[in-house]
Amino acid sequence: MSITKNAVTPSQKMAGGIAVPRMLQISALFVLFLASIPLGYLLLRAIASGFAAASAVLLREKTVSTLITTVGLAILVALFSAMIGISSAWLIQRTNLPSPGLFLVLGTLALAVPSYVSTYAWIALIPSFAGFAAAVFILSLTTAPYVLLAALASLRRIDATQEESARASGLTASQVARRVIWPQSRPAIFASLLLVMLYVLSDFGAVSLLRVDTFTRVVHTMYKATFDRSAAAVVALILVLLAAILIYVEYKARGSAVAAKSGLGSIRSATRIDLGFKKYLAASYLLIIAIASLGVPIYVLITRFVSVAAEINVSNLVSATIATVSAALSGALLAMLFAIPLGILAARYSGRLSRYAEFGILLTHALPGVVIGLALVALGSRLGFLYQSLPLLAFSYAVLFLAKAVGSIRTSIARVPRVYDDISRSLGNNNWQTIRKITIPIAAPGVITGFLLVLLTAMKELPATLMLRPTGFDTLAIEIWTQTSISQYGQAAPYALILVLVAATPTYLLSRPDRAQSSESRENMTL
Amino acid sequence: MRKYLGLATVAALILSAAACGSENNQRVSEGESLSGTELTVYSGRSEEFIGPFFADFESATGINLNVRYGDSAELAAQLLEEGNNSPADIFISQDAGSLGAVAESGMLTTLDAEILNLAPTEYQAKSGAWVGLTARARVFAYDPVKVTELPDSIDDLLDPKWNGKIGIAPTNASFQAFVTALRQLRGEVAAESWLAGIAANNPVAYEKNSMIVEAINAGEIELGLVNHYYIYEVAEALGGEINVKNGFFAVGDPGNLINVSGAGILNTARNSAGAAELIKYLLSNESQNRFVSDTNEYSILLEVPSPQGLPTFADIGTPVVDLDALKDVRLTQEMLVRVGLL
Repeated sequence: MSITKNAVTPSQKMAGGIAVPRMLQISALFVLFLASIPLGYLLLRAIASGFAAASAVLLREKTVSTLITTVGLAILVALFSAMIGISSAWLIQRTNLPSPGLFLVLGTLALAVPSYVSTYAWIALIPSFAGFAAAVFILSLTTAPYVLLAALASLRRIDATQEESARASGLTASQVARRVIWPQSRPAIFASLLLVMLYVLSDFGAVSLLRVDTFTRVVHTMYKATFDRSAAAVVALILVLLAAILIYVEYKARGSAVAAKSGLGSIRSATRIDLGFKKYLAASYLLIIAIASLGVPIYVLITRFVSVAAEINVSNLVSATIATVSAALSGALLAMLFAIPLGILAARYSGRLSRYAEFGILLTHALPGVVIGLALVALGSRLGFLYQSLPLLAFSYAVLFLAKAVGSIRTSIARVPRVYDDISRSLGNNNWQTIRKITIPIAAPGVITGFLLVLLTAMKELPATLMLRPTGFDTLAIEIWTQTSISQYGQAAPYALILVLVAATPTYLLSRPDRAQSSESRENMTL
Repeated sequence: MRKYLGLATVAALILSAAACGSENNQRVSEGESLSGTELTVYSGRSEEFIGPFFADFESATGINLNVRYGDSAELAAQLLEEGNNSPADIFISQDAGSLGAVAESGMLTTLDAEILNLAPTEYQAKSGAWVGLTARARVFAYDPVKVTELPDSIDDLLDPKWNGKIGIAPTNASFQAFVTALRQLRGEVAAESWLAGIAANNPVAYEKNSMIVEAINAGEIELGLVNHYYIYEVAEALGGEINVKNGFFAVGDPGNLINVSGAGILNTARNSAGAAELIKYLLSNESQNRFVSDTNEYSILLEVPSPQGLPTFADIGTPVVDLDALKDVRLTQEMLVRVGLL
């Protein structure tokens, strides 16, 4: 019996898909429960404020202007991010651009620079740098690597024979792009754009420094200025609603399933287009992007540092680096552990449960760190010794970045041919044995990609870290915050440089063009 | 299988490490020697400035401090969320507003008269829930080359000649405290019309006080409303002299508000005796003199001289304001939104 990937019989559909193994179901539900703690907290807080108070907050004039700013920012950033990401991917993968490997690494490394660091750098360079346009600029540069990697991976997956036969049947290059390449890249690119937009919704670093009132900044201001947690929760729920709309729209627009791969044979890559002299133009275009996203922050950090000749506190620097790495590592490990049941569920047993699960974790992904931090403060402070401990901090990272982890596990498991499962079962293995012996080993590279991505993101996290770290446990991000909060930018510079350097390691691994399987697993950062 | 086991082992290791690292939760009973006890401090004041005081306190008393540094308002929000489960013994805040918010929720204990008597009554909560530690004056920082005729009053800043030349930090707690005080002093209508006048002069908005000082130094603006110590911070951060000076308005002007940093002890403190010792230590003559010389803040104690080159409180002529009431900035924020500054 052969079951094709998305074929589900009507009776199965009614039962919510193929029968899900009990253990998987229980563990998935358990993880989902853990991940929805922040959402539950928000609902309780918002309800506590009562209907009248809630509608007073919602009907403020400010809500409308904030809505326009937030949505406008998300859309424009997605647009520019797509332009930069897709054009870079095409130039790197499909043209005779000089040293494409270098440009790939440069294009990806921007992920290693936290948005608050690059914003600080641009403000240092141009003191009047602020406002909506500046935020579009910074956030587009910060998020473009997500699109670049997604677009690149899908370009690499398209079999050259498809394009060649399309050309042979008389289609022009742009027709091939539209009819062959785009439909196959669209799901991955749309998924990455969803992540970009959710990122914009939850970003605090850039918008606060540039004084752009998105919902995340307003929530933050409300917590800080009025200590009115209920009103802030109501505003945060608007953010959740906005995220829900985006997720739904993307779900509809994405189209076909994730793992539409035409065959199991090896894929032959397409021939590169000769740009002629224009290849130098293309190279300078990519170079300008790299300078803006990577060059400026590093240049400013180094000059700030040199100009004050701040003495480097080496022991502090080392302990902060160890703190950053250990917290991010535990967080990433925990995230992967949590993501395994949800990823398997989404890839293998798609049904109502998996759809709700995906929706729930994506919603959580749009929440500002301060909301997740406070939710875990409310809960964690009742847990005695676990409160302000490394495990709880790791847990907060796992909740914050679960969407990234689940996405990568789902895509990589979806790539494991179903027929392997059937063979395994016919040999007498039960579902769990099949998952352990067949699925997990094959999906490993994708899982590692997800791990690196969570690791990298957790290293830069600030708001939840501030609230949940063990007392005296100062990560690099905390040290940067500490120094900049008393205007000691020179002293903050070494911490920022080390953070960029440390975060560059997983980023580099993500972009490494020579890694086996990486071309496929790289797409896994998207959902 | 091995992969699962590996992950599970790591998780178990992390959990057990945390269990071992859990702190000593024993409550310190009265009359016991404080040496060797633990004291958990939530400090909204930065480590750079208050860390040395803590270190000396530890060696003088033998009390071990676990200090959690953060932003005052964020720590206050965290304390409110923790409620009775808070591990904190004492909350030290950069401003009266955050202390007022925690005090209002009933989480702070009334301080002993022994402590309250150390500081002047105008710099503590009426309820006795918190006490001021240091004072800071609102000033105008200005470019001494470009600004030759100094303003006498905040009302002078409404003159069109300042169009586009003033820097403010409308999102910052210190500016909002000033506006709240202005509402208290002049009433809602007058306060709003002053804000509207400032807004009409197209001020440049910054996130932080220090950015205003940097912008004056860089020649982008000529004058800014800040706390008095930022010019020293920025000068140190930029590694030398800067072209910015502090100016005071005329005696009694609302622009001369004095705000305080302060401390309160949690109801749920396990070591309230240790916390009281810490407050007394920070209010000692020695510590107060050190605040003045190290951080250029004003001492809360009248007998300690003002920072070098700055006028005394009496000379500044501070308006009389209820610092406890500075916590409610919601109406202030709504007003700032109405006039378009937020």
